[in-house]
Amino acid sequence: MIDLILNWLHDLPLSSAIRVSAWMFPTIESAHVIAIATVIGSIAIVDLRLLGVTSHRKPVTELSTEVLPWTWGFFMVAVITGGLMFMSKAPAYFGNTPFRLKMILLACAGLNMIAFHLLIYRSVHRWDRDVPTLRSAKIAGLLSLTFWIGVVAAGRWIGFTIEG
Amino acid sequence: MLMLFSKWLSHTPISDFIQNVLWIIPLVQTIHILAIAIVMSSVGMIVLRILGLAGLRHTFSEIALRYVPWIWGALVVLLFSGAILVTGEPVRSLTNPTFQLKMILLFIAVCITAAFQITVHRDHRFWDLAPRHATAAKTFAVLTFGLWVAIAVAGRWIAYTVLSYV
Repeated sequence: MIDLILNWLHDLPLSSAIRVSAWMFPTIESAHVIAIATVIGSIAIVDLRLLGVTSHRKPVTELSTEVLPWTWGFFMVAVITGGLMFMSKAPAYFGNTPFRLKMILLACAGLNMIAFHLLIYRSVHRWDRDVPTLRSAKIAGLLSLTFWIGVVAAGRWIGFTIEG
Repeated sequence: MLMLFSKWLSHTPISDFIQNVLWIIPLVQTIHILAIAIVMSSVGMIVLRILGLAGLRHTFSEIALRYVPWIWGALVVLLFSGAILVTGEPVRSLTNPTFQLKMILLFIAVCITAAFQITVHRDHRFWDLAPRHATAAKTFAVLTFGLWVAIAVAGRWIAYTVLSYV
């Protein structure tokens, strides 16, 4: 079943266009790197505030509302460009261990974010200006940084291990 | 000349070590990308402030003093990690037109950052009190962000524009 989907993706006209073209893949990849860099840099700004390292004078809510909409915008760019690269060699990426690791780390970052918002951020009005923040918020910030750094490392490793 | 130097460098023991230890290049590239993340987001925050889209409760110089040191710190990391990558693959990079273009764009971006920092240090209210120059400042901000994007794009294209090893 999964093989059928992977092969179908691989055989789409857009996928073969990306494979054959000399410039499409590097262009998509460049956009992907810039998008991921911006996503991680902006998340790090919030994470470092949670950890109490930087932005002491800014309330957590103010920083989050200013920064995170841009994070989401660039994240969408990263997803679309990542999807296009995946399509071009779907079966090879799917079988690639660093790719799988990257997806797992991405899921961990997502779960950490959901847990942070559902469990910790709810009471933010009580610790909005605290430096450092709650212990649980600090842990969420540290986990977020760790997972995202892992996403970059695994992502870069894909380029050295992908076949074809 | 550059080619001779590149070939000499590629035969040094340190270059040999970087080329032959499997994990060094991906690890250093990862550090390089993380430093790019710091530059992009720091430049981004300053640009958003100039455009009036974020940080409006703070003065301009507060935002600049918050993020400019991170740009310099990340640039030092980029310089060192970039130097390791060049040492590992000197012919692939130094004689590569895309790499040379990247260095020219980088030089311009560093000059802009330094000039920007000097204006903030010289007069803390320069940018806050410059509504007359608002349009020019906004255009300049967007162009500067575009310049950093171009540097990152050029960086990724180095791998795809390698001249033949003759």
